[in-house]
Amino acid sequence: MISDIERQYAIEQFYYREARLLDGRQYQQWLSLVSESIRYVMPARVNALVNNRQRGEEAMIAIDNELEGSDGLGCPIREEGYAHLFVRVDRAYKMNSWADNPPARTRRIIGNVELLECGDESIRVRSNFHLFFSRPGSDNFIYSGQRNDQLLMIDGGFKIADREVIMDYANIDVPTLGLIF
Amino acid sequence: MNISDLVSDDAAYVSRKAWTDQRVYELEKKGIFAKVWLFLGHESQIKKPGDFVQAYMCETPIILARGEDHKIYASINSCSHRGLPVCRADHGNTKRFLCPYHNWSYSVDGSLVAIPQEKLLTNKPDKSLLGLKAVPRVESWRGMIFGCLDESVESLESYLGDMRFYLDAFFERFDDGIEFIGAPHRWTINANWKLPMENQLGDVNHGPFLHSAVIPAEANEEIFSVGWSAVPEPGHGATFRLMPEGTEYAQVAWGMEGMGAILGGAEIQEYLFEIQAKAAERVGGIRSRMKGLTYGIYPNLSFLWSNTSFKVSHPRGPNKVEYWSWAVVPADAPNAIKKILRTNYSSFFGPGGILEQEDSEAWMQQYLGSNIDFADDKPYFYGLGLGEEKPHPDLPGMLSVTANEYYARAFFLRWRSALEAVNDCCDLITSTKQLSVDDL
Repeated sequence: MISDIERQYAIEQFYYREARLLDGRQYQQWLSLVSESIRYVMPARVNALVNNRQRGEEAMIAIDNELEGSDGLGCPIREEGYAHLFVRVDRAYKMNSWADNPPARTRRIIGNVELLECGDESIRVRSNFHLFFSRPGSDNFIYSGQRNDQLLMIDGGFKIADREVIMDYANIDVPTLGLIF
Repeated sequence: MNISDLVSDDAAYVSRKAWTDQRVYELEKKGIFAKVWLFLGHESQIKKPGDFVQAYMCETPIILARGEDHKIYASINSCSHRGLPVCRADHGNTKRFLCPYHNWSYSVDGSLVAIPQEKLLTNKPDKSLLGLKAVPRVESWRGMIFGCLDESVESLESYLGDMRFYLDAFFERFDDGIEFIGAPHRWTINANWKLPMENQLGDVNHGPFLHSAVIPAEANEEIFSVGWSAVPEPGHGATFRLMPEGTEYAQVAWGMEGMGAILGGAEIQEYLFEIQAKAAERVGGIRSRMKGLTYGIYPNLSFLWSNTSFKVSHPRGPNKVEYWSWAVVPADAPNAIKKILRTNYSSFFGPGGILEQEDSEAWMQQYLGSNIDFADDKPYFYGLGLGEEKPHPDLPGMLSVTANEYYARAFFLRWRSALEAVNDCCDLITSTKQLSVDDL
């Protein structure tokens, strides 16, 4: 039985390795960290009408009010499975993926890793990220957001089974939200 | 250089300055955005009284709402007192819009309801004169709501003209029409508004090249062999494949090309085949065989048939565009089907789309290319297929292979006329001092 501290350490190390693979453009190796049944969702984020009846309550300005996720009848920015991620990874190694030829320079900083629920086989984890993005012939950009993950414990390691990416934009002014966050 | 020199008389050449010059942009506002029908939203977004969504007419913010009388209203989102936007949410349902500055309040139809300060004053202002500025003409066709700032504009149906024939090939497939699902994805791109428009108006020619990392070669072969580019009216355009009679549903049914349908399994495919089975009866033989690609409606609305998305290219100066896109689904589809079909759009298009990341990069780079020095004597070549477009016995407008750039030439000749028409009377560039090469 491992301690909470050991588990926290192991998950942080997993995320650092994941970030290193992505920043190092080793996307095929990154894909091996992903369960083939993964659900990868990025809700859309709207500027919501504040409900007067909720004044005085946290619910009035809850972040959930701003999200169009995969459960509702809005339209998330991304709702993907393994096949979509596979296409994205495959695209990265083609000559004619012109938006990434030459490729962007990225740097991911992962923090605020918080274990929400630890089961025997899976763990729910929340983490924050900042991603610096610099593409030739363009401006530099900062992406900021949160990831709500479900990680599976397999053979002493982890696989990402579910990832919800909450972006912090009010207006999208970055070149693409099609990166792997 | 005169305005007329921005586009050559046969439109085989278009100036780089057409994309970058601030004065050209001001003429676009006066000559185009102030005078033609602009897309505001879809009736499915504002079903109930009090429902509203935000929209834009060029850079001007608009509130599109369903009034208490169930009628549709479009008002400029700017308080009559000090000009602040009174509607601050993207969409919702409300009784009143409240200006934060002094709390003047308006009903969703734009009328001024209350001025809190007036109870302290002897002379009360006439509130009936102080409503939000109304968009003078608002009309819908097939649930698509358009507004026009010029009261004397022709009817919307006449403006769309034979473009309706091509739009109906899609809209009329569905018993209850279509529905816009969710809020629009909206993002800014450092590009001129006309290029995203041109891209959808008829430019499927970039597909096999810009998108070859993702679009398979067979899909492009199909476009080469049975693809058509139609220009029903200059400025409008439709591209599609006309599949041979007897083509199996899997190859012709609307919706089958998206990731949602491909990964969605038998249930979703059966649903799409049922729609296709009724297509000939609903839209006629030739239109039932249409497998659409991209459509454009002058000046800045476009439609992606294969990935079912409507898009608007809202200008934000010559060098920036706020691009809006919505997923579109059949209105009477079960919710589970709607959720799958929306990914036909989001997988490939929108701000997170696998294909669109290549497009937005190309559009940004085109702006950089247009904005360079020392190359004004090298306008862009728009002459592919010059004069090769022809009428067709069964399809309205001028038809050609998709490699023909007639769709863009027709757009730019209409665009040039629109700018010339306002240049005569506006004080920005007087008749005695036309734009000179030095000015540009």
